[in-house]
Amino acid sequence: MELFFSALGLFNSPTVFAALLIGGIWGTIAGVLPGMGTVAALIIALPFTFAMPTESAMALFMAIYVTSVYGGSISAILINTPGTPQSAATVLDGYPMAQAGKADLAIGWATLASFIGGIFSLVILIVAAPALARVSVAFGPSAIFAIVLFALTCIAWLSSGSMAKGLLGGVLGLFLTTVGQDNYTGMTRFSFGSDIMRGGFTLIPILIGLFALSEVYHRALLQGAHRTGADMNVGFRLPPLSDVIARWKELLRACSIGTFIGILPGTGAMAATFVSYTAAKRFSPNRDKLGTGEPDGLIVSEASNNAVTGGALIPTMALGIPGDGGTLVLLGVLTIKGIVPGFDLVNNNPHILTAAFMMVLLANIIMFGTGMLSARLFERLLRVPEPILMGLILLFSLVGAFVVRGNPVDLIVCVVAGAVGVLLRLAKYPIAPIVIGVALGFIFEEKLRQGLIASKGSLWTFFTDPIALPIFALTAVIIAATVVSNLRQPPQTKALEE
Amino acid sequence: MMNSVLKILCSATALAICSVGAAWADYPDRTISLMVPFAAGGGADVPARFIAEELEKELGQSVVVSNVTGAGGTVGATQLSTATADGYSLGFMPVGTTTTQPHLRGTSYGVDSFIPICMVASGPFYLVVDADSGFKSWEDLEAKAKGDGITFTGAAPGSLAHVTSVALGAMWGVDVGYLPTKGGGDAMNELKGGRADATAWFSDFDVRFGLNALAIFAPERSEIHPDVPTSGDKGHPADIAVWMGLFAPAGTPADVVAKLDAACETAISSEGFTANMEKANREIRHMNTDEFSAFFRKAFEENGELLKNAGLVKN
Repeated sequence: MELFFSALGLFNSPTVFAALLIGGIWGTIAGVLPGMGTVAALIIALPFTFAMPTESAMALFMAIYVTSVYGGSISAILINTPGTPQSAATVLDGYPMAQAGKADLAIGWATLASFIGGIFSLVILIVAAPALARVSVAFGPSAIFAIVLFALTCIAWLSSGSMAKGLLGGVLGLFLTTVGQDNYTGMTRFSFGSDIMRGGFTLIPILIGLFALSEVYHRALLQGAHRTGADMNVGFRLPPLSDVIARWKELLRACSIGTFIGILPGTGAMAATFVSYTAAKRFSPNRDKLGTGEPDGLIVSEASNNAVTGGALIPTMALGIPGDGGTLVLLGVLTIKGIVPGFDLVNNNPHILTAAFMMVLLANIIMFGTGMLSARLFERLLRVPEPILMGLILLFSLVGAFVVRGNPVDLIVCVVAGAVGVLLRLAKYPIAPIVIGVALGFIFEEKLRQGLIASKGSLWTFFTDPIALPIFALTAVIIAATVVSNLRQPPQTKALEE
Repeated sequence: MMNSVLKILCSATALAICSVGAAWADYPDRTISLMVPFAAGGGADVPARFIAEELEKELGQSVVVSNVTGAGGTVGATQLSTATADGYSLGFMPVGTTTTQPHLRGTSYGVDSFIPICMVASGPFYLVVDADSGFKSWEDLEAKAKGDGITFTGAAPGSLAHVTSVALGAMWGVDVGYLPTKGGGDAMNELKGGRADATAWFSDFDVRFGLNALAIFAPERSEIHPDVPTSGDKGHPADIAVWMGLFAPAGTPADVVAKLDAACETAISSEGFTANMEKANREIRHMNTDEFSAFFRKAFEENGELLKNAGLVKN
């Protein structure tokens, strides 16, 4: 209790609240804008923190971190483009819902699920941060490799139209991550002697190209054939309480998966959303409707990606080890401000830690307001003539693709990925598997290589790891069960993509 | 005939030099870009932003930090090496990117691609172990290394942590296993999870990670941790530090370099910079252009030699 009051002492100036509010608004907007993700939003805000008092800078960053993950869902739902990579799985059911005229409800669900995910992980963070930090370090390369492998099985769920097309996409995605310099030997792979390719590809430009730019190109090709904002029913409508209660199991599972994967350094929100989606495909009572505009698919994605925020803060705050790209920048700004996350913070300055928790809580509440606000804003925005809207998306997409690592090559990558995306759409190939491949390929290889280096080349190490083994087993069981059930009944054909 | 052509050429050249010279005299008259080859908020980014803030005051122009990340900083460094050498494209780069990666990765840039302007910060490496590990001293770790063997962890092969593990192996005459990670705090995950025995880290190993240091790889003990012996105290003198500083592409005019050198010196001793660095737990080390140039060239060759001896450079 004493801790609570000394933490409250950090809130003594109105600038802290102003920082939370500004951070919340900027975070949501940046999340909504295709291309501007969590990391870009934090980097853009970084220079402003120099002149701020420590606690305001912390509030600003916490608010941006929490709300930017949520903002991505709004553009995923309304324009079929995830605003941030974390919302890639939200597109699958969010956009079909909007097309069915339930955009307002979809945004309501996304907001509520994000809020629940955020609060759930925050509670875990407060109650068990030091204990879970110890759990987190127990996950070595083999265990994380097993989890990533499990997440990759999601490709199969997202390609039920044609398994071959989906798997092909997944392999293409994985392959793209091998281009460029290999971090472990310094060898340049698949660069074809070109300096441009040496740096390799990164997720964001490919993701923006495949989703946002291909949407722009596609609409340009089929002028006017799309539904406009008016009959999508853009707005903000919360689902009835009974519906929420009926889905508590889905929410709880997604929250737990998100928090847990968030704890594992470097694994990331995308793995969490895909694992959650896979789990929903397996266990949700509405699993057959997933991919056609079923709220279950939307909420497991949004609840788990926001649950990652609290999860990722656990190793960041308790161990000083950043959990993902966003927390890396967060850690940097705290260091600049003279706060050293980790041992000292937990043991000697717990009131700062408590204050950080309170900021996350407030940011989650602010998210509701900014969500409603941006739904309104979008309602207007979607009434803008389509060429202008698409022009804006094009602009933000290219800015977003560039700002992540400041490499002009990424602009080319983004534009090419957009063209590829249109071709794939026209040929009825699903896009999501490629994105999953790229999103998980880096960590997939990294953990495989680390495991092999540690074991001096023996693959056996992956199967003797007590944590990895059950996860491999679960993966095998899920694949086997699916194969068996597919053999028994004729495969359903549905286009998940559109 | 020949003579008059020469005359014209000469006067044209002189004119060109004069007019460019006049432009240099006004340097800087627009925004300067400071490229950092690592992510925002990272180890190299933080001092870069601090120094940029002070350089702005000194030079009277905006100094904008841009992060160009990837492949151990070599993507950004390659970009800087081909940038226009007019003093408006500068880089803030650490030891690994500039002195180990060129040997390891066959980069298109080398020791002659940059003009070192000034060293800004340097963090000596400590040999650290987990507090619960049972290693209480240098001798404990040495015994295990000579017995069952130890695993060292750190950033990618070729990083300074890796160089440290190679150096340690040479000191003890053993092979030290190396478990590479993505860098940053990731190595601590392996250390605290018990999958590695030791790593190399900066002076904030205790406040940030709650680790113990067995030695510091520096000629002198540190004021921050006077209890930690130097590796020299244990019979193996070494000087391993992650230093970083300001670089310009080769060909940057001498008077621009001189102006930057002077601005850097004032910026580093400024109150704002020293206060910021202290708050962020970072150690300042200044070298001017002359000192830093000699130091850089020596470090480039020594690190190349070290990597070659460790069998990491194939040619």
